[in-house]
Amino acid sequence: MTTTVFIIWGIHLLLIPALSPFCIGVTRKIKARLQNRAGASVWQPYRDLRKLFCKDEVISQDASWLFRVVPYLIFASTLVLGASIPLFSARVQNLLTGDFLVIVYLIAFGTFLLALAGIDTGGAFGGFAASREMTIAALTEGGLILSLLTLALLCHSTNLAVIADTLGPRYFLSFVPIVLAFISFMIALLAETCRYPFDNPSTHLELTMIHEAMILEYSGKRLALLEWSAANKYLVFIALGANLFFPWGITHSQSSIALLVALLLFVAKALMFCLAIAVLESSIAKFRFFRLPDLLFTSFIISIIALGLTVKS
Amino acid sequence: MTKYKDIIQRFLPDVEDLQYHSNLCVFEVPMNQIVSCCEELHHRRSLPLKIISAFDERAETGTFRVLYVFGIPGENVFLAPFIRVRDSFPSLTPLIHEASTYERKIKTFFGLTPVGHPHCRPIILHENWPEDVYPLRKDFPWDTRVNSAAGEYHYRKLEGEGIYEIPVGPVLAGIIEPGHFRFSVAGEEILNLEPRLGYSHRGCEKLFEVLPLEGKLKLSERISGDSSFSHSLAFCLALESLSDMAVSARDDYLRVIFAELERLANHLGDIGAIMLDTGYNFGGANSARLREMVLQQNENLTGSRFLRGVTRLGGVNTEVAVDEARGLLAWLDRLLSDFTEVITIAQNSSSLLNRLKNTGILVPQITLDHGIVGVASRAVGFPMDARIDNPYAAYGKIQFDLATEESGDVYARFKVRLKEVYSSIQIMKAALNNLPELAVMKTKGPFEFRKESFALGLVEGWRGEIVYLVKTDGVGAICRVEVRDPSYLNWPVLDYAGRGNVVPDFPLINKSFNLSYSGNDL
Repeated sequence: MTTTVFIIWGIHLLLIPALSPFCIGVTRKIKARLQNRAGASVWQPYRDLRKLFCKDEVISQDASWLFRVVPYLIFASTLVLGASIPLFSARVQNLLTGDFLVIVYLIAFGTFLLALAGIDTGGAFGGFAASREMTIAALTEGGLILSLLTLALLCHSTNLAVIADTLGPRYFLSFVPIVLAFISFMIALLAETCRYPFDNPSTHLELTMIHEAMILEYSGKRLALLEWSAANKYLVFIALGANLFFPWGITHSQSSIALLVALLLFVAKALMFCLAIAVLESSIAKFRFFRLPDLLFTSFIISIIALGLTVKS
Repeated sequence: MTKYKDIIQRFLPDVEDLQYHSNLCVFEVPMNQIVSCCEELHHRRSLPLKIISAFDERAETGTFRVLYVFGIPGENVFLAPFIRVRDSFPSLTPLIHEASTYERKIKTFFGLTPVGHPHCRPIILHENWPEDVYPLRKDFPWDTRVNSAAGEYHYRKLEGEGIYEIPVGPVLAGIIEPGHFRFSVAGEEILNLEPRLGYSHRGCEKLFEVLPLEGKLKLSERISGDSSFSHSLAFCLALESLSDMAVSARDDYLRVIFAELERLANHLGDIGAIMLDTGYNFGGANSARLREMVLQQNENLTGSRFLRGVTRLGGVNTEVAVDEARGLLAWLDRLLSDFTEVITIAQNSSSLLNRLKNTGILVPQITLDHGIVGVASRAVGFPMDARIDNPYAAYGKIQFDLATEESGDVYARFKVRLKEVYSSIQIMKAALNNLPELAVMKTKGPFEFRKESFALGLVEGWRGEIVYLVKTDGVGAICRVEVRDPSYLNWPVLDYAGRGNVVPDFPLINKSFNLSYSGNDL
């Protein structure tokens, strides 16, 4: 009994960091195929991480202690995030950090640290990237919180594990607010994970970058940690979207078969998200920077409507 | 020759002492009249300024010669007043702004001062080059190592609350050439932008003086590697008119075909790069694929993806067999339908069009003042194209549509390129269908050039007009080659096109011009 719970916890803790490079790899692979390219293997992000961990680091002499510790803090914060959200087993109910407000502000904490590190070395690129990131982060927050609050109100709990567990039966009774909240959440997901139409994760043009310009000064293992954290954050958001808005497949059972099925179902749901994001990134151009707030306001307003509909019902 | 004289008489009825050098009509003007003479030709007669160049003739006459070349629209003939200069000459810049960069270059490389130039700072050479060493003077041996100087470069400074600078380059992201850009920015808006070039200066014009003829041809192919064929063609056209060498009609048509293949490859590359810079991956990937198709076709036909070694004096080195020509026609049809399919999808993407429209607008007055050439100029609505204005090779015998747009933004430059892809295919088809029979006799060296003579080679490269001005000395050897890549004229207006836009849009604006660094730096 306890051994099983330990094993479930173990898998739960390791799942996000272990699986996140794969999700990045799959997204890239689908994008490449959609562009008639062969693309790198889906395991390439793992190789990149190994390569970066083996490399020497160059740190600017103007960098302060902040620059050195930020990658560890951000990586740790994504590990906590991964451990706090519902993934595949309902046995894991994290009451301490599983509250959605804690999750949202843990994400914001990472963004804040990264922006600080971007400014720290005094380079122009890190500076303007941090300014852009904070502009977008401030505007994303509203839509993200209110879309999750919609679910919390429906389930009478702010704990994500409880939401994922109890939303299923009420799903079709409150279908409209959930769909609206999902749209709002997806826009926030794209903004927070630096995806189209907000940021281009594969660009080489330093002047257009947001996330990539903030980590421009990093190299070696700290860069590896930041790349890994970004991948973790991507998968955390996908897991939130997959398990909160499509709350099926999380198992209460402790039988290994049921757990394996739940795990595979989770991976399948995550890959569907990767597919959707890859299709989006292959079919539209990035938006002009000053049009991004419009999109984020849309996310905010849709989530307010979703919220209004829940209160009424 | 008499035909030329008639044309020139229309413009210069009262000049007595005209010297006819192949396609260049040269005449001396007293120093105090040169400004009014150029003003008359440029402003009142509306002749476009092609190039201003200096020649060190101190060994023969004890003076420098400064030559001002004006084109006559519709003819491959050029008017060139010149002055003899000892150390300074009156500046044209206050009246003809376009002259500014040429005069700065003469000051930097010959040490002749344009009197009245508002801001005659050095160009191309950096502050580590000593200010009193002038590399294009004849008494400067090409292999001299100069001592490093400790000058200082001053960027334009903007001051005000919240204004900060972004230095970018000279080492830039991606596989492109080196150049430094200094932005002054308020928030995200670009208030001022100063491109600083010269990092790929190789001393090409000096090298042209010392290399053997074969080497000169190779060098011309390497002035700007993406325009190898157009550059070497312009050089060959100049040399051929210096020696009255006839080019067979078939080779004239083949030159047109290769020139259009080069344009096609580069335009497809640019169209893709513009779409990729907006993040529109579908268009970017497919245009890159189409460009690769053209490069592979180049390799099939000539053995070189970038058409190097194809031009030679008096013709082309590569023959296109009958079945190859037939294959090329079918291939062009396939390329056309493939391209149309991709572009139809791209033109329906509102997110792409939103990024392109109203971005990086170039206004007509700036375009005129700076003498902008090529795609950038046609995108503002000026119908200028050397293939029509000064027809060379077989362009005079082929009808095609001149591509122009009005709005002057990134979208206009994008659309001009789209239209030119279609017209290139149209031109190639016409040339292949009218390809004359294989000539029996092909001219081969040794070549004799006229002594003490000038010639001008002008080619519409894919960026714009490429100019080669060549001079021979008393024994008929080439003693100076002045090269003007279209980028040299177009770089300064990037600043005007960039102002008022947001920083993340700059790479897109830059790409829509896609200027050459090495062509500018020489």
